[in-house]
Amino acid sequence: MFSTFALDTQVLQRDLCTGCGACQGLCPYWDSVHGRTVCYFDCERLDGRCQRFCPRMPTDLDALRRKAFPEETILPEIGPFRGLYLTRAADETIRAGAQHGGTVTALMELALREGLIDAALLTRAQGTLDPAGALVTKAEEVRSCSGSSFQIPPSLAALNRALREDRYRSIGVVGTPCKTLAVYKMRHDPLPENDNHAGNIGLVVGLFCGWGLDWDGMRELTGRYADPAAVSHMDIPPSKYHSLEITAEGKTTSVNLDEVIPLVRPACRACADMTAEFADLSVGGARSADGWDVDKKWNQVVVRTKKGQELLELAIAKGVLECKDVPESGLDKLKKASLGKKRTAVRTLREKDGTLGYLEPCGQMFQDL
Amino acid sequence: MEWTMTANDPGRVCLMQGNEAIVRGAVEAGINFAASYPGSPSSQILGMLGKIARERNFYAQWATNEVCALEACIGTSLANARSICIVKQNGLLCVADALHCGAQHGVKGGLVIVTSDDPSAHSSTNEFDSRFMAESADLPMLEPTNMQEAKDMVPYAFELSERLRQMVIIRLTTRVCHGRGNVTLGPLPEAPHEIQSVGEWDRMVCVSYRHTPMLETLDGLREAFEVCPFNHYTGPEHPKKLIVAGGTGCLYSQEALRRLGAAEETGVLSLATLWPLPETLIARYLADAEEVLTVEEVDPFLERNLQAIAGKNGYRIRFSGRGDGALPRIGELTPDLVLSAVSGLTGKPMPPRPKVSEEPLLERDLNFCAGCPHRATFYLLKRAMRRAKDPGIVIGDIGCYIMSGQEAGHYAYQACNCMGSGVNLAEGLGQLTAYCLKQQVVTMCGDSTFFHSILPGLVNASYHNSNMLLMVLDNSATAMTGFQPHPGTGITAMGDAVQPMQIRPVCEALGCKVTEADPFDVEKTAEILEDLLRQPGLKVLIMKQPCATLMTKSRRGKVKVWVDQDKCVGDGCGCDKFCSRVWGCPGNSWDFTKNKAAIDPVSCVGCGVCAKLCPAGAIQVEGGDAK
Repeated sequence: MFSTFALDTQVLQRDLCTGCGACQGLCPYWDSVHGRTVCYFDCERLDGRCQRFCPRMPTDLDALRRKAFPEETILPEIGPFRGLYLTRAADETIRAGAQHGGTVTALMELALREGLIDAALLTRAQGTLDPAGALVTKAEEVRSCSGSSFQIPPSLAALNRALREDRYRSIGVVGTPCKTLAVYKMRHDPLPENDNHAGNIGLVVGLFCGWGLDWDGMRELTGRYADPAAVSHMDIPPSKYHSLEITAEGKTTSVNLDEVIPLVRPACRACADMTAEFADLSVGGARSADGWDVDKKWNQVVVRTKKGQELLELAIAKGVLECKDVPESGLDKLKKASLGKKRTAVRTLREKDGTLGYLEPCGQMFQDL
Repeated sequence: MEWTMTANDPGRVCLMQGNEAIVRGAVEAGINFAASYPGSPSSQILGMLGKIARERNFYAQWATNEVCALEACIGTSLANARSICIVKQNGLLCVADALHCGAQHGVKGGLVIVTSDDPSAHSSTNEFDSRFMAESADLPMLEPTNMQEAKDMVPYAFELSERLRQMVIIRLTTRVCHGRGNVTLGPLPEAPHEIQSVGEWDRMVCVSYRHTPMLETLDGLREAFEVCPFNHYTGPEHPKKLIVAGGTGCLYSQEALRRLGAAEETGVLSLATLWPLPETLIARYLADAEEVLTVEEVDPFLERNLQAIAGKNGYRIRFSGRGDGALPRIGELTPDLVLSAVSGLTGKPMPPRPKVSEEPLLERDLNFCAGCPHRATFYLLKRAMRRAKDPGIVIGDIGCYIMSGQEAGHYAYQACNCMGSGVNLAEGLGQLTAYCLKQQVVTMCGDSTFFHSILPGLVNASYHNSNMLLMVLDNSATAMTGFQPHPGTGITAMGDAVQPMQIRPVCEALGCKVTEADPFDVEKTAEILEDLLRQPGLKVLIMKQPCATLMTKSRRGKVKVWVDQDKCVGDGCGCDKFCSRVWGCPGNSWDFTKNKAAIDPVSCVGCGVCAKLCPAGAIQVEGGDAK
């Protein structure tokens, strides 16, 4: 099947596209408009990077992770695991502009400063809305990309462009689980005739993700509660709060989650990865007995690879990150939450056509869910 | 060839196209006035008339549309002028109202309408058989079977028109227009026909009580047509098997009978007087016939009428032709098709057909010329439509850009009706956007079509503020039919320089919000287009870039476009022949030896747009100094 037809029929038409941008920045055929992936013209190639990289094309996740991670590190619920940490940026100014503890910002600054990476693919969201992929090469630029957006931008398009240019030897990528999966596909399952210089991806930091939201709907919803241009922060506190918090001009408004749920990107309901299992490190909001007021300024970090371990240890050693003890139940809670997302994905996919859809090649991973 | 149009050399035999034969006939008839709107296959007629008008002391005009052309001719007829109006089949449909009203009030000076039908719609959107218009309006119609008749029929038609005080239609078809044949020139009049003052009591008024005298005139004409010298019969006196042919069918049938060796026993009645039909003449040859094959272009018009005449006379005849499948229901006649039908009629076996070549002909889609600005326009439009959350509705219109409905324009539009209809289809859909239709509505027209028939629709759309975008593809030419002048070009059919009409102020005067863009400036124009699509209400976007053929003429300096094949990705991932396969300009070629893109230097006109779009930056443009 032609590449563009394959993605259109197997991903876009099935409401599976996450908008990650993995298919973009490579050719004149794919692009993105306000979070929607669009195909301008048909490509008649039978195989291509777009369909190879797409995290929602049928993928044997089990085979892929065996290629990338030592088998003994893999936990069925949350993927490769070398340790769980609660961390935050030591620098208070980082934390002030961060989503939670500023761990990712601190780590990427450090990685750039130490020369572990020579560019970082981040996401820059002006006032949390209409985010875009941003490639930065200096540690000082990283902070402009702090904070999260609930609109998923096609930032991998910027990564693809950077890789194509072949100007950087070690690019650090930060992204949601769909993006980090795509990055691992780029590295471990490249198009034989064109590896897209994927060897120049030097570090992958995953972001925990529940779901992304519809771009237009999000802008409209935000507009109902605040001036979209003035919004500085958005967050979704633990489930018992059942709310989305919108902070604008120092004032935080709590929006009932019922208003937000209809805006969830349908593709995200079919996503089986909450913790960004394909990454060197995965970072999310902390959950502890201290309660939300404390947790919201901390992160939990899953270390997945040796490289991730080294970076985290370096950050702690250099005093860039602060740590605190992880509660005993921390890992179990994380596993439980992760399994919950996997169950939703399996249910969503089965409702479509009775199969596991893009997860079918590794169906045994999900058979008990 | 033009000297043959005006040479006063009676008896000289010249090789002429059918279109030229019509021109020569008009000159021999001493016309005073000629008007037309270009339409294939008869576009050349007025072009040639315009060139010789001064020399032969008549007026020739490329009118803004066919209605203007015919009605101007009707006007001049009141002053006893001999006028000729040239239209194609769609043009004849366009003038239907004027034609029917004119038929009722009649004419004073001779008025001949030359209409050209395009069987197989080679250069049209549809087939149409203009003979039904003669029947409907009760107007005399003639059809030549060769170039000589085409020439001779014009003076004959003028005399007939003046004798009957009625318009006369001459029907041509593509092969007659474009085919060539020997024509013996007739004498040229010393002066054009005499123009007379319009008298106080001269009348050409369409009123219903004129219908009866008009029909009586036609009855009288039937008798004249019984002995018309343009109707021919060859074959046995009382044929059992008869071919009745009109137009091209006559020569095709004679050739088929010759090849089958059946000319002796088969009759061929060639009819030039299509309306009213010479019923007595026809009945004479039908009387003993057992089988009749009708060979005619487009519809079974003669066939049905022959059946009626046979029925009226109580003849029992087996009829075949387009109506029964002996000949195809649609499409142009070919000698081979007629041969097969005549073989069926005569029972003579088909002669063996020599094979010309084992190699299949390459199939090619219709495409825009190299460097055509429309290619860039439709590239941008497709992208804009794909970018829209609710992909919009695109309505086509008639001009070169009709090809945008095919691969050349990435299958741009969902609907396309007749010339000038786009703005109206879009207007209606645009109103529905206030009634739950969520899509943007876009339509298009060329600069010639804009003046031809868009204006009333634009008035309507503007007055009712329809939510739509009209793209005027201003390439400064009536390109599809061969660069005839139109009101935007600043030149007339007779070569006079005049003040060109500007589309922008015309639109603005109608209350439209007008934006101009250059389709070759792809990046900027993409933004403009997307921005306009977001705005409510009526928008006009003038895409300004001259037709490639004009552009290359006006450019100083040579442009060299070439492909850096080291950079070219070819059919690899990231390109997949984007220039030659998607952009699709004939100038973008493919180097099969290296599997890389190439530029065909013969086709390429150096517009350089492909270089802007090449994903690998492999296409290089050097030189060039476009005015």
